[in-house]
Amino acid sequence: MKAILHVIEYDFRNFFRYRWFIIGLIAMNLADLFISAVVFTQMTRGIVDYFRFFAPGLAVLGLFASAFMIGREINMEVRREIHHYLLSLPMSRTELAIGRLLGGGFRGMLYMTPLLLTNFVLLGLPTLPQLLLILLALFLLAIGISGVSISIAVSTTSFEKFVTARGVVYYLFFFCSSVFYPMAIIQTLEARGLTPLVRFAQINPLTNGSDLIRSFLLGSPSFSPLMLLDVAVFSVIFACCATFAYTKILMRH
Amino acid sequence: MGLRKIRFVVERDLRMFVQYKFMLIMRGIWFVSQVALFGLVVGKMVEAAAKAAGINYFQYYVAGVTIITLYSTSMFIGYDIFEEAEHGVFEYLLTLPVSRRELVLGRSIGGGLRSFVYLGPLLIVVLSLLGVSNPLHLLIALAGLFLFAFGVSGMSITIAVAMKSGDKYDILIGVLDALIVRLSTTMYPTVYLQQAVPSYATISQFNPLTYASDLFRWGTGIEGTFEVSPIVGVLALFIFFFSFTFIGVVFYEKRLEGGSWQ
Repeated sequence: MKAILHVIEYDFRNFFRYRWFIIGLIAMNLADLFISAVVFTQMTRGIVDYFRFFAPGLAVLGLFASAFMIGREINMEVRREIHHYLLSLPMSRTELAIGRLLGGGFRGMLYMTPLLLTNFVLLGLPTLPQLLLILLALFLLAIGISGVSISIAVSTTSFEKFVTARGVVYYLFFFCSSVFYPMAIIQTLEARGLTPLVRFAQINPLTNGSDLIRSFLLGSPSFSPLMLLDVAVFSVIFACCATFAYTKILMRH
Repeated sequence: MGLRKIRFVVERDLRMFVQYKFMLIMRGIWFVSQVALFGLVVGKMVEAAAKAAGINYFQYYVAGVTIITLYSTSMFIGYDIFEEAEHGVFEYLLTLPVSRRELVLGRSIGGGLRSFVYLGPLLIVVLSLLGVSNPLHLLIALAGLFLFAFGVSGMSITIAVAMKSGDKYDILIGVLDALIVRLSTTMYPTVYLQQAVPSYATISQFNPLTYASDLFRWGTGIEGTFEVSPIVGVLALFIFFFSFTFIGVVFYEKRLEGGSWQ
């Protein structure tokens, strides 16, 4: 446990080295909320209160982007062969992998916290059990995202390939989810023959994460335990993938 | 000023662009996902409002995304400058028998031209989606977009040389990107900006992205998008191009020497 805590601390310290990147990310998130969402609210009058709808999506968006940053660092470590040093530390490969995974997840939670608090200020407070469920779902989501990111990062030594893969994952998860628009509107894509995208959007953990927050803060859609289950399954699958990939693939490089 | 020397600088920047192949692929993926997912779904969501404003939102958005892509690829030149400073190529460039003025002018044109080369295939897709109602209007719009692309490259060079720090440049570009795109008519018509927060609409009137996207929409014949005369649009883009190329030349000349790149 102590070794894992050291690794988490290492990743936390590294997180603050990217302060410029974080400031850029915060600026983009705030601009999304206070400019784009405000304008779209005017355009979606009578259909949805877009500002209130988008605010929970933004918290999930921030969580995704910040939890994904661990992959960028791990890919850099692989390219610069810093992973040799990490592998030489007095801890098991599994402890190292779990520490990195949790570090990525906690960093996502840390970045997301102000955005979630903004939600509470704008949309109202949840009850204590609801708050605990929201935090649990978001933590599981952060671990899953960190897992996806680590799995991609250790699979390639090329930064360009990592960036491209990250782009594909980002845009697929972002735009094919209910982060930006309600599920009912995404379902209209079925009429255009885009059924696979609609199915993906339904099981997308970003959809379930943001809808879970909405269910407690906005009352719509109604809460379903399947939302939490979806996020948990995603988290377990990618946490296992990342642990396996980090311990096995890293030693092969 | 030697045109031949400027051509060499432009050619070099065009060749350099190929090294960003993965970045370019990523921009391509972003473009496709914006059009095929975001554009389609948001188009449905704002259908009623778009009808009231007399526009087809999907077409409106596709044209806007094209301009955002042109803007972001034109900004790449700044990253080239930092790459060169980091690897000591900058000093090599200064030893070449090319004046500072020729160098910055060539870079500004090269930066704009290469983004057009990149945009070419995407533009064909976009035009096939939007159609062209008046080829003359389209040519005028494309000429305006050339000025816009050169101006953005000049702006990117100006910021890069003024900052001389990769970190600061990165953050400023990130913040600028977040604001300049959202406070323009690339994603939504002025009327909704005005309804949301009137000051947003006022700021958007000074935003080159507003003029570029509205001019492009006018060029492709998208209804109800240009609120001012297209001549004013071209003029605004010319002023933008001229200002940043001029400022870029002055800054480049003044701040090139002495290193201090971070």
